[in-house]
Parts: sequence; structure tokens; C-alpha cells
Amino acid sequence: MSVHIKTIHPMKYMRDFLARNIRPDGRKLSEVRPTAINVGSISTADGSALVKIGNTVVICGIKAELTVPNAENPNEGFVIPNVELPPLCSPQFKSGPPGETAQVSSQFLADILVNSKCVDLQSLCIMPDKLAWVLYCDLICLDHDGSVLDACVAALVSALCTVTLPEVKFDAITKNKTVELEKRRPLTLTCFPFASTFATFDENSILADPSEEEESLCSGTISIVTSGDSLYSVHKPGGCQLSENRLSECISKAQKRSLTLRGMVEKSMESIKS
Amino acid sequence: MPRPLLHSLLSLILNQLTRVLHAVCSVYKQNFLAMNSNSSNGTHSDDKEECSVRPILCELGVITRPDGSAILTQGHTVVMSAVYGPSEVRMQRLQVDRAYVETVFRPKAGVPNTSDRLRETIIRDTCETAMIATLYPRTTISVILQEMEDSGGLLACSINASCLALMDSGVSMKFLFAAVTCGVTEDDLIIVDPDADKLKECKASLTFAFDSINKNVIASYTSGTFPVQTYNNGLEKCRQASDFLFDFYRDIVRKYASTL
Repeated sequence: MSVHIKTIHPMKYMRDFLARNIRPDGRKLSEVRPTAINVGSISTADGSALVKIGNTVVICGIKAELTVPNAENPNEGFVIPNVELPPLCSPQFKSGPPGETAQVSSQFLADILVNSKCVDLQSLCIMPDKLAWVLYCDLICLDHDGSVLDACVAALVSALCTVTLPEVKFDAITKNKTVELEKRRPLTLTCFPFASTFATFDENSILADPSEEEESLCSGTISIVTSGDSLYSVHKPGGCQLSENRLSECISKAQKRSLTLRGMVEKSMESIKS
Repeated sequence: MPRPLLHSLLSLILNQLTRVLHAVCSVYKQNFLAMNSNSSNGTHSDDKEECSVRPILCELGVITRPDGSAILTQGHTVVMSAVYGPSEVRMQRLQVDRAYVETVFRPKAGVPNTSDRLRETIIRDTCETAMIATLYPRTTISVILQEMEDSGGLLACSINASCLALMDSGVSMKFLFAAVTCGVTEDDLIIVDPDADKLKECKASLTFAFDSINKNVIASYTSGTFPVQTYNNGLEKCRQASDFLFDFYRDIVRKYASTL
């Protein structure tokens, strides 16, 4: 019977659940789905990670290449994130050039990298104005079931943790470069930003870590990126109006979650070291 | 026709069109600035008050073809906006219960890039929240924005310009909305509505859009790193500053009420 109500009257179906402080999948309003982080999943990449939040799966592979630094910032390398939402992950995406959602997600990740300065771009420079590393971070969503930004940020940050770069010797006069693939040094991150998405439904109900079904019924989402103390982004593109108290509530929840996620990344990092 | 030839022809036409558009825009801008330079109607001077905003000037119905249009300057940031609709919708965009709202943001030069896409989604979602889209099922409402000059606070200016164009078009809305940007300095002080020079010295910038009824937050976009307390302070200051904009909207409506 409930299946029929869901198809005929999805909003009422949702509202009836929320009135009893529970969600259709049995979670409480502020409960997040089980999360799993696996690092170093792709052995051929320079850094990689797979993140699962509930059914949402995002895999990130990082490829390091040598390039000439930008003339404006001659002693900085590059980190270029690219999110792919293939038709495989959800019926709402079609094949072809990246759609609006994919472009916006890529830009969001690029903004976070700039805002948080979690990768020291100067450490990617080998010889100023001559040679630097460019890290191409390819994120592919395998299953699109809500809160994809959270999974993307987590996958990107955990993959960056695993990046090791080979030592490069560069002769400025002969312009000869020798890459010693055996001698690799790890990339150090200055901070660990993590995103938490909340969906707003009817002003008063705020759902943590919404699933695809909830996101489509809710009036808007808000994504908060934080490393525990500092905020790197509070992204709320329209949707339901929120009062300040509600916003602070979300921020403190996001701060707690980012610490949990950081713990998970550290634990999985230990497992690949041992 | 062979494909490469077709492509080059298309890009040639596009380039020409962009050039013409820019020429038209700059003529408008000059006329507009010359016309309004003497009038102080509806402007807020840059006084010493903490939450004041840069001088605002606006004109509605500047172009004839759209259902609603506006040109808005905040300080030296200028944005022109147009609203078309409710009009016919493309099949794949059709929504049976509401209007499909689309936003196009054209930068001053070059083709739109991914950061413009991000800006578009923020503007679109803000507009969609404010308007009663369910009144216009199976239609599309397009909000077009053309950047003319960016001297800080472009996103806020674009959001405000889109609100003015929506007002001019007569699309039904639940409330009006206004956006304010603030900058955060190195020692966590808040500068409300900074210009480009002040913004350069800031470590972070926060942009908020508020509704006109309860002054709650509709949209929030941030860049840079900042502590939670600063975020809340910035939000409060911007909320106060949004009053200037809502007052300004009222002045504008009063000015245009007889001609609209």
C-alpha cells in the first residue's frame, strides 16, 4: 500500500514520515548513512580512493604529469579536479559532453582546493618557470544516490592523501629531466576538508545526508565544507529559506562529521602502510 | 556543407554577434550612467556607517523585446538582466507541475566557463525559490544576465538584477530577494559590499541572498577560509545591509509604478 501512496502522492508520503521524525529509509533526521572509505584502490594511478556513502559510490584516480608552470605563478604546480557523471550512474544523465551538474561539481571541488589550500601548490613545483607537477584528479560517480558532493570531496581528499610523486632531476642548461620512479615522496596535505550536505524540507525539517529520492522531493540543499574548525565553503544555491539558528545547527553537525571522516581516512591510510 | 567549414562559419557568426552585443551594451551603459549621474534618487552614499552599501542605480525596461528587463549598477559593477516568459518549453525540459526556470549568464568577454555555470545555478535556484513556478506549469521562464563590468560583488549584483527584471516582468513571486557580499579581512573584520580593490586585500568573501519577508537566508556562497563566528557576523551585517536594497526596490517601484 505504501508503495502506491509513494507513487501517487510522494510529498504527502514524505511529510507523513517526517511528522513522526523518521525518514522513509528508517533513518532519524540527523542520521547519516554508513560510510566506507577505501584508499589506494587503483594500483596504476599515482593516488586513488573509493568512497561509499550509503548507495552513493564515487571513485577518484589521480594522475601526475609534468608541465610548464603558468607564467603568472611560476613557482606553483596545478591540481585539476574533474567530475564525471556517466549515464551509468543515474537515468538523469545522458552520454555526451559534461552536463551542468558535472561542471558545477568540478568547479565546486576546484573552489574548495583553492579556498582550503589543502595542497601546497608550491610543493608541486620542481623548477620555477620551467617544470612543475600537474595532478589530474578524475572522479567518476558509479552510483548516484544523493549527497554526491560529499562523496566527491571525500574521495578527492583521501586520494590526495595517497599521492606519491617520483623524484625528478632537471638540468636547467641542457633541459634534460630524469624521473626516478623508484624514489617516491608522499604529498602532504595541510588540512582535510570534508563536505556535509543537508536537504531542507518544509523549512523546519533538515535532513542530513539526503538520498536521491529525498533530494528530489526537498526544496533545496546546503553543502558545508569544513575541516573541523575553519569553514571552507557554505554553499546554498537557493531553495528553502533558513533561519540563522538552523544554519548554525547544520554547521556544527558538519564539523562533527568532518572529524569522523578524517578519522576514517587516517585509519584506511594506516591499513595500506602496514 | 563539410563540417569544419560549418563550424568555422558558426564561430564567425557567434563572434560577430558577441561584438555587436558588446557595442550595444556599452552604448547603453554610457547613456545610462550619463542620465543618472545627476540624480541622487534611490542611492545610498558611501558614508561612514558600518553596514552601508555602494551607490546603487537602476533602470527598468531598458530593452523592449523581453517581458522584463533591468540594468543595475552597484558601485562600478554593472549587470543587465532580462526575463522571457512564461513561454513555450522544450520537450525535454517540460515539467507538468511547474515552470522550468533557466538562467543564462554571459560574461563580459569570452565564452561562459564552469565558474559561470556555478553562478548560473545559484541565480536560478534563488529565482526559482522566490517565484511561484507552480502557477505556470508546462512553460519555461528564462532569466538572462549580461555582465558589463565587474568591480567586486558580481554575483550579488547579478542576483539583484535578476530580482528587478522579474519584478518588471510581472511574474508572480512569493517574496523579493536581495543579495549582499561582504569581505573578511586578515584580522576577521567584516567589510560590507567591498569594491574590487578592497576585495583583493580580503582573505575570504561571503555572499548571501535574503528574502524580503523574514530576512532569512535563501542562498549562501563563500570563497576563502574563515572561522564559524566570522561567518555568523558576516551574515548579520549583510542582513542589515539588505534593508538598503529592499528600500531601494521600493523606491524603484514607486518611480516606475505609473509607467509600468
